[in-house]
Parts: sequence; C-alpha cells; structure tokens
Amino acid sequence: MIDSGIDRRDFLKVLGWSGAAVALSGCGNTSIEDGKETVVSYVEANDYMVPGIGVYFNSTCAQCDAGCSINGRIREGRVLKLEGNPDSAINKGKLCGLGQAGVQHHYNPDRVREPLLRKGNKGEAISWDKAYALIAEKMAGVQGDEIALLSGGVSGHLKVLLGNYLDSLNTKNHFVYEAVAPGVVRAANQKAYGVEMPRYRLDKAKVILSFGADFLGAWVSPVHFSQQYAQFRKGVDGQRGVLVQVESKMTLTGANADRWLAVKPGTEGVLALGIINALGTAAGEVADLVKEYSLVRVSRETGVSVSQIEKVTALLKMRSPSLVLAGSAAEGYAHGSQNAAAINLLNQVLGNVGKTIEAPVSVPFPQMVPSKGNTAALKKFNDGLSAGKYKVVFSFGANPVFTAPGAFKFKDNFAKAGFKVAFAHYLDETALQADLVLPLDSALEDWGTQVPEYLTEGAQINIQQPLMEKLHANTRGVGDIVLALLKQKKSEEYKSYEDYYAYLRSALLQNKGALGGGGADDDTFWTDTLSRGIVKLAGSAVGLTGHQNVAGLKLPAVAEENEHYPLYLIPGVTASLRDGRHTNQPWLQESPDPLTTIVWDSWVEIHPKKATELGIVEGDIVEVTSRTGSVKAQVYIFPGIHPEAVSIPVGRGHDAMGRYAKGYGVNPFQIMDAVFEVETGELAMHETRVKIHKTGQRVLVVKDEGAAGALQMGRKIASRVSTDQIDLSKEV
Amino acid sequence: MYRYLRLPILLVGLFLAVSAYAANNSQPALTTEDGLGPQVQQPIEFPHNRHAGLHDASDPNKGGMEINCQYCHTYARRSAVAGIPPLQKCMGCHNSIDSVKDRPRIKELFKYWEAKKPIPWKKVHDLPDFVRFNHERHVKRFVEQQNRPVQEACGYCHGDVKEMTVARRQKPLAMGWCASCHEKDHPVTAEGGTPVDGQAYWYSFQKPVKTSDSALAPKAKGPNDCWQCHK
Repeated sequence: MIDSGIDRRDFLKVLGWSGAAVALSGCGNTSIEDGKETVVSYVEANDYMVPGIGVYFNSTCAQCDAGCSINGRIREGRVLKLEGNPDSAINKGKLCGLGQAGVQHHYNPDRVREPLLRKGNKGEAISWDKAYALIAEKMAGVQGDEIALLSGGVSGHLKVLLGNYLDSLNTKNHFVYEAVAPGVVRAANQKAYGVEMPRYRLDKAKVILSFGADFLGAWVSPVHFSQQYAQFRKGVDGQRGVLVQVESKMTLTGANADRWLAVKPGTEGVLALGIINALGTAAGEVADLVKEYSLVRVSRETGVSVSQIEKVTALLKMRSPSLVLAGSAAEGYAHGSQNAAAINLLNQVLGNVGKTIEAPVSVPFPQMVPSKGNTAALKKFNDGLSAGKYKVVFSFGANPVFTAPGAFKFKDNFAKAGFKVAFAHYLDETALQADLVLPLDSALEDWGTQVPEYLTEGAQINIQQPLMEKLHANTRGVGDIVLALLKQKKSEEYKSYEDYYAYLRSALLQNKGALGGGGADDDTFWTDTLSRGIVKLAGSAVGLTGHQNVAGLKLPAVAEENEHYPLYLIPGVTASLRDGRHTNQPWLQESPDPLTTIVWDSWVEIHPKKATELGIVEGDIVEVTSRTGSVKAQVYIFPGIHPEAVSIPVGRGHDAMGRYAKGYGVNPFQIMDAVFEVETGELAMHETRVKIHKTGQRVLVVKDEGAAGALQMGRKIASRVSTDQIDLSKEV
Repeated sequence: MYRYLRLPILLVGLFLAVSAYAANNSQPALTTEDGLGPQVQQPIEFPHNRHAGLHDASDPNKGGMEINCQYCHTYARRSAVAGIPPLQKCMGCHNSIDSVKDRPRIKELFKYWEAKKPIPWKKVHDLPDFVRFNHERHVKRFVEQQNRPVQEACGYCHGDVKEMTVARRQKPLAMGWCASCHEKDHPVTAEGGTPVDGQAYWYSFQKPVKTSDSALAPKAKGPNDCWQCHK
C-alpha cells in the first residue's frame, strides 16, 4: 500500500489545490466548442425520427432462453436502453439485469467484424464469398455422417432452416448443447407428468418447497417466476406464501426463503421420501416405498434435523396447495433422476398436480418448437470427435471449449475434427480453435423468430428484429448464413429468398391465417406483427398424467466419504453470468454477486466451520484440486453452504473472448470430472469431489459488503426471544 | 523539516503543472474581436442568406428566397435539440432545380447524396454538456403562442441568420446572457398562453407573483429551478 507519508489530509489538500488551479485557469472560458464537434445528420430520415426524441421497437431478448420480449429505446438511430415488453405473458414488461446488459453485447468492442480464416495462429480477414466457397470446397466428397453441428438451443424458423440444411447434407449429427440446462428434471417430469416442463403456478401455491431450484436467479424463466413469486408472497387469500429452500449451497432464491435447509449434497431425494413418510398420507406402494425412511434415518443421512423435517411436514400438511420443485442442485448427481422422481412423487402425494402444476400449452407449429439443449449431447459430440469421426464441424451459440468439463479433454478432441467453422460474436475459446470464424450480427441487429421452451399463458412466437442499423458492415445473421449455405445445396428451392428476412417474411405470411392475421393484407399484417414483437397463438393444452411410477424409484445408499477428495464441488450458477457466454459484458462483471457482493473475480465459498478446521480466512488463495485438475482462487467464508461442500461460480475464468472477460477469475468447468447421470446420460455437475489446500498467498477480497461481513457484527435485524423466556410484566 | 517542505513544494508544483496544462488547452475564446463566435470551416459553405434572405425585387437571381427557418430546421419545434436537416431535405428541392446543378457547392451536395453519406457539418452553436436548452419550448412560446415572426424568434439566440452565409455564432450563449432575457419581467397573462398559477412555465428565475393591482398583469421571472437547464 501507500506508505510515502501522504496521509488523507494531505491528499485532500492536493486535490483541493489542483482543483482550484483548474478552476482559475479555466476562468472566463466555458466548455463551448464551436466549430470543433461534428454534427452528423441523417441522409434520409423517416417522419418518426426526430433528434432527441426516442422511438421504441419491440423485439426478443437473446441473453438467455427464457424468451422475454423486449422494448428498446432508439434515439438518433442508436439503441440506448432495453426494457420489457408489457404485452408478453412471460415477462409482462419487466426485464432482468442480464437482459438489460444486452446493449453491451451489441456495442461490445470485442465483437468479431470480419470472416477470419486460420493462418497458423492468426486469423486472416477474408470475404464472405471466399468463406462460403471454402465451406463448399471442404464439404466436397464428405459423407453426411462426417459432418456435425453443435449449437445452443434453437427454435423458430432458424430451427426449420437448420433442419433443412442438415437434411440436405444428409446428416443427423445436430448436437444441441446447453452447459447449464435442466436436462434431468425434464426427463423426470416427462415420466411423472407426461410433459418435460409443466406450467408451475408459484402464484397459486401456499407453500413452496424448492429443492435447489433457483427460480428467482437462473432457473428456466426467472423473470416470469419472480412475478409469480411476488403474487405468492402477497398470498392467495391473505395468507402469505411460505418458501422453504433445500440445497447445499445458498442461491438467490435460498436467500429469500423463510426456511433454508442445508442438505448433505446428493441426499435431496432421501429428504423428499422422508417427508412423504412423515406426512403419513401415502398408501399402497408409495407407503411401502417410503416406510424405511424414518425421521431419524433421514435426519442422519441428510444432515437436516428431525425438528426441521417435522416443521416442514407440518407446514405442508397445514397449507394446501403447495408446490415442490426439483432444481439443478437435486439433479446434478449420478442419481439425479431418482432425486427428481422422489421430489415429483412428493408433489403427487401432496395432490399438487393439476393445482399448482398445470398442463402447458402446445405450440401449433411443432417444427418450430425449441430443440432443447442438454449436456448429454456434448458427450456424444465429444465421443465422436475423440474417435475422429468428423471432417467438417459447425459450431454456434455454445462455447464448449470453455464449458465442457475438464475431464472431457474437449479442446484436444475438437482439434481432431477436419475443418471447424464457428459462427461467433466474440473470439471465444471455441472460436479460437476454429479454422474459419464467421462473424454474427448482434441480437439487436438480427432477424429471427423464437419459441420459448417455458410458455406461460398460451403459446407465442417471439419476433426478433433489428433495433438499429448494423454496427459493422461485415457481420451476418445466423439465419442469413444458414440460408446462404442452404443455397449451395438447394439453390432452386431457396433462390427466391434474397436473405433471411425475405424467408422469414414469406414464411410468416404463408401462415397468416393461423397466426391470427386472417383477413388483413400482407403489409398490414407484417407491420402489425413487427410492431407487436409477439405472435400470440391459441395453443391447445397438453394432457398431464400426474402419475409417478414408483416401481423404478430406488435411491442409492448415501455416498461414502472420499478420503482423498473430501469435499463436494458445487458449481454456482449466478443470475448474471450463467454459463459464461456473456462474461464480456462489463455490467455483468461489475454488478456484485447478490450473496457475496464480490465483483470482477471468482471465489471459493467455504463454510466458516470448515474454514476454521483448515485454518483458512477470507482472502486466502486456495488450490481446489479434483481428480481432473485444479484451480486457484480467493476464499470467501460463507455460512450459506454445507460444511462438506465448496462452491465456485461458473462463468468466469475465460482465457479468450474479450477484454472484459479474459483473465478475470477461474473456470471451475476445467476441474469437473466426467460423471454422468445414470438414466439420462446428462453430466452430473455436482458430483465432482475436491480437496483444498492453502497456497500461502492472501488477497483483499474486492466486494461491496462492509468489513463486518454478512454477520452484521453479531446483531440481528430484529432481535427476538421466545415468550417463555421473558417476563412481560417487567418489560412493559 | 523535510516533511514540512515537501507538501508546499508538491502543491506549488502541482498548481503550476495543472495551470500550464489548462492554459495550453485553452478553449476557443468566447468571443472574437468582432464580438462573434469563431469562423467555422464547413464542408459546404451553406448560404443561409440565399435561402432565408429577403427577396430582391429588382433581380430575382440576387436576393434570398425567404424560406421559413422551420422548413429546413423542422426538428426545432418538435424536440429539445434542433438537429440538422437530413440530406434528403436538401435534395427534395435541389433535385428539381436544374439551373444551379453545375455550381460547385451543389455538385458537392450531390456527391454526398449519391454516396449516401451524411455531410459532416461542424457545430456552430454548442452548449456545454451540462446545459439543456430546449428548442421546442422556446419555439412554442414565441412562434406558436405569441405569433412572433420566426426569424425574430430564432434570432434571439442565433442572430440574424438571413444575413449570413455560413452561420456564425453571434450571441455569447453563456448563462449570464440567458439571464439577460429571463430576468426581464415577462407578462404571464393568458394572452401569452401561460397559466398564472400553473406549475408549467415560469420564465424567469423566480416564481410569478400576483400583484394586488388587478389591472397589472402578474410578472414572472424565468425558470426558478436550476435543474430546468442543468439536468
């Protein structure tokens, strides 16, 4: 630190004097700079374009898959601010911080601006014609099954077009990958309810028991759930809803809960069955299944005290309907399906199916329904790469080199593919490994349609449209690229579409009647659709089965202690960074983590008890080692974590991508073991075991919260004492 | 001893350094010798006098065309900022004025149009970023409510533009100068369109006062809040 003898008082003196100097010498001048600044006018202006007055366009947020509709303010041809579109049933005019940061995706200085062809370690800018010609050349003579496409979740017309392209290549190798996706829960729901994602009605529930579902932060459709949550807290009939969160690492939702139960990692299912047993309302085979789960046994295995289980059970008995959610913490284990099945069974026993778990609507256009990403797809892709099966590989909307678990050795396997094409916004880790990088339009420059996975009231198709002119002349929309590639194969069929916009317009106009525009002429319908930004559809409700098959439900014995790697590694998924695809947006880096208030860096959450045991204090740099690898990061002592677990947030630790992402923090994906969920083959994200040891270095943790920490100096917000310990006559 | 000397030396040094820096980076003088703003080099020397000047009855090829300021500067009455007319506006007329198409300035104009490039005009009237002047409000007040001639109303701040070729700043546009109008007593009768007790418009730096003498209209003294301009 500074020890040159300048104290605070001296510093202020210097500051004052230099300020005075500026003021004196600037005297008489104002900052008028006539004739210096250029004032740029429009070449051609529409009537509604008035300098200084904002115009608003509707579009769709592309920061995550929830499909919130946005409303962007544009002034002087520049998009300045995004808010929610009130007409959307999903976000009803609201938008989360991640969505707000969408403008920083658009104006990001690190966007790729030209098609780049690998020349050794450098990318050489080439023309689009050359890039397309190169792809055609590399495709020549390649069999269909030697071509693979890895993408994030796709829906809408892009999915249709992409499907047609893959058909034209005669390949079925489309791997839809999302690093953080409820893959196991989807499969478990399919079994229990007959649908992958039922419609959860948090607003109708009187109690929510959530097993690690961070629905206020990063789970499925957080903006929508936040609004339902507000209703839930207001209460159905004046009775304020009670939230109980069961998880091993506190999430944002856990922090909001009335009762937060730290459960031993992986025993969520045991607790669910224990609660069914304690409820005592089950009969038949369910009762047979749970009868072994006595309070004492459950308490011993989960680490949740008997009285806590009794309280939760009493609450569930007292208040109906309730809602039990299985989230990423429950599904992240090798027996994740069983955990989720046990939790779904609890819902069934409580009679919530049909009340707070409703049937979703189906989208009338099944070809546009989203291909949902999961991690099993990455494994298949990785296996194929490792076997050297693919000669041409396309990748977009995902960054597997960054998000694949270290045990996959994905980067090495990726290198085995013959010719790698990445459609990218940034030169992220995956794009850096590609042979050809095609620069994409930002989400605020591109055309598209999107069907959200989680639909709320009725079905809807979201329209994505440019909010302003393109910033860089040589970027292209994903749809335009796919269309251009498709033209290489089926030029006759697609030659009438000049670009993706033309394709989109004609595709929507062809179905005008079904989209609610019957009778309107084409132009009116089109303008109307664009100005709304949403096409609402009357979808029919899908049937809910509501029957969890008990026969296959068998929870494994609780995992034994691992001598070498005693701790569980819980990857923390935060509301702002998610899987790290937006880390190069500085607003997200600088907005403090809601629980630890740390900015711009990663941290290792350790329970105070464990820290004392290991002699660790806040700011110690520790090495977290798994069988796969190790990372070093600062410690944050956090009471909201199970003593047998440590947590590192995902999303940081990029070694590429851009100036705001590169070099900040560490990437826990790197040390993740390749353990899979037994039934679904999804990656079991919470199964990695680690050990930690001090490196001896210590840093000052950069965070917003004060020195006292989250402990409030031992004081409580409102102190309380139980009535039997107080003599009221003396108090008054 | 050393300790006592160090701070004054530091302070004096810093003062000199900052003063020198500020002096070297002096902004353009507020007014030139003739009391006007600096001459500004524009990419095209736009002749305001030809467009907005008075007719010359003797020779239609001399004189001006008396075009209303608002015909081109159409944003001034619609927005806080006046903006610059889009190129399209110039072309709207000049596409069909064949007689001047061979003039160098018009040729230059067509070049920009054909390249679909905006003309990089230089700002002649530039306020500091901490001042919000609202054009719309002033145009509404003087032109629409009080029916004053447009050139007079615009001229309060922009000077006699119809006599200029390339526009040049004629007024200081400093706060004291703003006050020179806003501290005058303005009648705020219904004739001026301003509600006497209304919150909406106080034209000077103080709230309007009703005088006991009902024959005399109440007087107002400008926006009485700093944030009306400094926001």
